[in-house]
Amino acid sequence: MTSSQPHITRRPPSQVMRLERLGSLHQCRLSFMRILMRRLAEDNWRFSRPVFDIDDTGVGSAVYTATGPDRSYSLVAFAHDLPDALRSDRVIAEAWDATFALFDGVPSPDDIARLKQNVPRQEAGRITGSELSLSRANRSVRLWDHVVSALAAGQQPDQSTIEQVGYLMRTTAVYGSGKFGAADRETISDRAELHPPFQLEMLSVYLTRTFVRDLIEHAAAAKGGAKAAKLDASIARGLGIGNSTGLGMAPFVVNHPVLFNNWIMAREEAISRARSVMTASHEAVQIFSDRLKRSVLSVSKWTSEHPIQIRKIDALRDDLRRLNKHFEQIDFANAYPWNQMMIWAEANLSAEGQELLASLILEPYPELVDGLADCMADDGAEVSSINGAMPIGDMRNLLEASFGWAADLDWQDPKNCARAWYVSEEKLEPRLGERFEEPIAEYEQPLAPARDAALAISDLQGWATTDTVADFLLRHPEHRHTVRRAQLSRIAPYGEIRDNTISHDVLPIDMLRAKLSFFGATHFDPRSDRWVRICMFAGAPYPEELSTQNADDWVYPEVAL
Amino acid sequence: MNLSLNEIEATAKKAARGAGHTWGIAEEAAKATRWLCSRGIDGCGNLARLLTADDVETGSSLTLETDTLRSKDGSLCPLIAGACIADRAEVFGSDGWHLQNVVSPILLVPFAAQIATRAGQSVALSASNFSAVTDGKTLTLSGVWKEHANRITLQTTNETGETSKVCTRANPDKRDWETLQSLAHRTYAPATEASRLKGAGAGMTDND
Repeated sequence: MTSSQPHITRRPPSQVMRLERLGSLHQCRLSFMRILMRRLAEDNWRFSRPVFDIDDTGVGSAVYTATGPDRSYSLVAFAHDLPDALRSDRVIAEAWDATFALFDGVPSPDDIARLKQNVPRQEAGRITGSELSLSRANRSVRLWDHVVSALAAGQQPDQSTIEQVGYLMRTTAVYGSGKFGAADRETISDRAELHPPFQLEMLSVYLTRTFVRDLIEHAAAAKGGAKAAKLDASIARGLGIGNSTGLGMAPFVVNHPVLFNNWIMAREEAISRARSVMTASHEAVQIFSDRLKRSVLSVSKWTSEHPIQIRKIDALRDDLRRLNKHFEQIDFANAYPWNQMMIWAEANLSAEGQELLASLILEPYPELVDGLADCMADDGAEVSSINGAMPIGDMRNLLEASFGWAADLDWQDPKNCARAWYVSEEKLEPRLGERFEEPIAEYEQPLAPARDAALAISDLQGWATTDTVADFLLRHPEHRHTVRRAQLSRIAPYGEIRDNTISHDVLPIDMLRAKLSFFGATHFDPRSDRWVRICMFAGAPYPEELSTQNADDWVYPEVAL
Repeated sequence: MNLSLNEIEATAKKAARGAGHTWGIAEEAAKATRWLCSRGIDGCGNLARLLTADDVETGSSLTLETDTLRSKDGSLCPLIAGACIADRAEVFGSDGWHLQNVVSPILLVPFAAQIATRAGQSVALSASNFSAVTDGKTLTLSGVWKEHANRITLQTTNETGETSKVCTRANPDKRDWETLQSLAHRTYAPATEASRLKGAGAGMTDND
């Protein structure tokens, strides 16, 4: 029996919206990859490859079309011959192993010809309202060469070599929503299949993974001729698409407070619903147990060279040992078992372990959780109009609710404002610099809401509580963006990060991790404090294998019997 | 130039910031420009002319009297003046507002739309030779809109705008777009080798 009336309240923003916790989030039923895969399976989407025109040197184009109940989408892929010296994941790169656009519908030969002139140039080209995304990918050179050689010789690649890398290609950017001329999200967000966030980007990456598998088999056949082997289906399934994510994603979560709120709020609501289940059925406990075992296996394969992440993975492995032991001792006849586990976890596990558990308790309850996917988009305008009639007393309360802690920080202390976010002239790359060491302060982006709120709180001193926001803004136009955010916090309580984003020790990877966890990524591998490697769709069924039986739990590796 | 409205909005925001506006007003500029473009009006050209005009109010000498907004020196900026009256939408009485000496007055229309939405009543914006009516979504423009207006009145009205076409793309004049881009460029920090390596954190190899 499950109760759909949650009585355990959502965790408060003051607990959830700390960077340490956001930097420990894990994928869950509400991750964008899983939302997409469930829909593709449930609505019986069909897949085809109308074009595969790649020559023996691996250069050419291909089209992969996905067709749902109402419309089709096509990945138009271009494969290139990239000299090793030009291969870089940085946004400043100018050439890639493969480039892609997601076309809205089925492209004509003229469309493909037009895209061929533009897509390989990425940011330097233009796409149109007929395209939904623009992306590119680079090979993992060592794995690519190994797999091509093995298959060409009629053999399968070495499993452990595959597992060390996890992908044959990694995307280095997937641009959507109006970028470089693509269709705006606003023009397509009323389509059911694109309403949850980032669905078209996820579809693009999913189709890219199929293209990459086909491309490497093609390369092996070109090299090995008749004796070349096809990639074993289970090995292929273990391969994902890598992704390198840099600083560009960190501003995104600050610049879209309502959207980010909706992601966090949906997950928190789901957690509160699972915690409010009074009696866990035998089946629910079995599902949890299965996903826990498979998480242990997944975490055992998670490696990173980054000292902070190494410590966190070690702590998570300890957490899982404790959690397993605790789980074995729980009497599931007691009321609210998931809530009891969460309370136990807060006292006994690291943030990584607590958040993994929070995601795992959602697994048995698709009927309580999955519908929340439709609440994760931001359907209003992000920049809402300001209510100038609001009394100053209310404004002060809103600012202090999110940033009262920031008003007490000494913002003159260089440690507390050591960094500044800026956009470099060079390919418009977002960067984080040292305010007191580089000439960047005058270019600072408004990505320090805590500092800005503290300044506004300070300037509000002396104003009567009955004065209006309109009069305050007439005197202090510099606080307009801060006032707007504060008013948005009424509808977006989880929209503000409750930490200092310009502190000397801020870790941008925490913001990247939060966003990537909602994509559904696992095995986060920070390569510095400001960029991170992940793998997407590893374990997922390929289009021809996809069914409602395997659409959802592939993210957890199968435990060998 | 065929652009998405998100491109318009992003560039308008940076251009307004690059021209010296606060981030809050830059956000208003972005939304206002997008709103005009989505109704087939040349938002980019008007914003480009505003941001490059001489002698425009920057906010410090704005004077607000009972029902009149003026600048002690220079012309009124429609972004600053528009935001100022939109902030007072809840107290938008039957007398409305009178604005004196406004540059690129068509940029006031999106603010009139904000007021209409908040007040739940259509707003008419009128100058001697041209006028607009909007209920927040619909819009009727009449007369020939000039680049400058000596006096503009905003008042509630019982009229409603015609249902206007909604455009999903914009086609700004190439020179106007370049003007906005060059203003936007002022918000970018010149790259140095140190920032290139350090700022994006690419210390470790990104190639394997």
